Amino acid sequence: MKKNIFYMSSVIFFLIPVLLLILKSITAPWRSGNLPDWTLRGWETVFQDSRVIESMAITLGIALAVALINLIVGIPVAKALSHRSFKLKNTLEVLLLLPLFLPVIAAAMGLHITMIRLGLANTWIGVTIVHLVPTIPYTIKVLKAGYDRIPQDMLNQGRMLKAGVWHAFRTIELPLLIPSIRSAIFLAVTISAGQYVLTAIIGGGSVITMPIIYYPFLQSADDTVMSAFSVAFVLIPAAAVLIAEAAAMALAGRLFIKRRSIQ
Amino acid sequence: MKWQRTNGLFLLLLPAYAFLLLAGGSFILAFIESTGNGEGFTWSYYLSLFDRRELTDGLTYSIWITVSSTVVSLITGWLIVRSFYRLIDGNAKWLVWIPMLFPHFVWGYFVLLLLGQSGLISTALVQSGLLEDRTLFPVLVQDRSGIGIFITYVWKEIPFVILMLLPVYLQLPRQFREVNTVLGGGQRHWFKTVEWPWIKPVMFETGLIITAFIFTAYEVPGLLGVSYPQMTPVIAYDWFYSASGEERSMAFALLMLAAFILGACALTGFALMNKRRMLLSKSSHRY
Repeated sequence: MKKNIFYMSSVIFFLIPVLLLILKSITAPWRSGNLPDWTLRGWETVFQDSRVIESMAITLGIALAVALINLIVGIPVAKALSHRSFKLKNTLEVLLLLPLFLPVIAAAMGLHITMIRLGLANTWIGVTIVHLVPTIPYTIKVLKAGYDRIPQDMLNQGRMLKAGVWHAFRTIELPLLIPSIRSAIFLAVTISAGQYVLTAIIGGGSVITMPIIYYPFLQSADDTVMSAFSVAFVLIPAAAVLIAEAAAMALAGRLFIKRRSIQ
Repeated sequence: MKWQRTNGLFLLLLPAYAFLLLAGGSFILAFIESTGNGEGFTWSYYLSLFDRRELTDGLTYSIWITVSSTVVSLITGWLIVRSFYRLIDGNAKWLVWIPMLFPHFVWGYFVLLLLGQSGLISTALVQSGLLEDRTLFPVLVQDRSGIGIFITYVWKEIPFVILMLLPVYLQLPRQFREVNTVLGGGQRHWFKTVEWPWIKPVMFETGLIITAFIFTAYEVPGLLGVSYPQMTPVIAYDWFYSASGEERSMAFALLMLAAFILGACALTGFALMNKRRMLLSKSSHRY
């Protein structure tokens, strides 16, 4: 009974909205008395608009760059916070998480003039940098929780068997971290792909991501087109996850071959 | 060997310092712009904030929306996790993840599509003859009291609260339940001595993340807000792009004021809780 209430309300509140958006995206605006007319016009409008396609590519590119930098920054920091003890460790951890509790819009506005001076305003690099502010704290949190689950004994054993830092990372830490890395990538990509104001301030209207055209679309397009565009946002994390998995498999394959050939 | 280890630590923390430089630097730059842009230090932009009627009205409106959406989503999310955490961890986790996939403004658009005057619900009511005309449907979205913004935030933050609290409940050692029973504790003791101290840090953290986000995120009020009153981030965004240099500095002052208050809350909260957490982690780290 308790179970059914839970499942039903989860479906109603979390799944039905998306199904409604999908349904809306393949039907003409509903008029009274009629059954909805099926149409692919919404999706055609979205995918035939070259600006939309281009914005998807830019959004995905920036999101992947953000995710990659997140991992490069997050993994060593998470390891230090989880498996090393040093002075002011708690303070450092709080400072690293602090941007989550502060207005990121202030950070973007503060960086604006510096970005102009450095020539990074209105470029995708500038936008990628400012997207790091709201994403890296989450990545550190997720990866630190991942490292917390790796027992110190396991790392000591690697050390005892004379594994170098890189070797130990590849054969012990990385395989155990995979689920956390997956969630970190997913989080970084969805946060980056959902930024409107940071992109607008630093991108200055030259870096056109999906959120940047979503707002003007809302003024002109009808509900069918808007629903299709809304659902299309799922494509970004989906594509990012596929690309990340493919990259991981390619990398693992290479490493595997290398190891075999050494033996 | 010791030198090597500390050196290694320095290398591990190097990216953290780079990030702190980026994040800290950006707030310092924002602070400089809020205090007169380097040409003489002044707090006057902070003081002149409160002479603006649009801002004082906007602040009340923002605080009201922020507090109500934070409290409602935090409590609802907590009650859901508390009663169903085993189920959620079983095979309902993907359901909770669905709203996380979409940006806030897409969820805002969905609320508009569903509850707007020409939305799905009003259309359905008119078609079924329960409502004569869609203009009779109450203005729930893009309304003056911010109901649409509130609904969007609550709907979007509940899954966030669930996903933040879920690992906390799953990691709660089962032995604690036995200890409580053996010592003759009831439900109330369980909550007071075990459950609440265990979840308090994450509840605080989640609540503060949501508060800071709702109070300063532009996306949803930019989409679902009305022209008066406006939420703080919308006012700040307009001022930032205003032709007058004074309003630009006031945009920074407004956001930095929010940053100081939220930052102070975060720092004192963590300082108070870190003491407790140290004791907890020393006593129950491994078994």
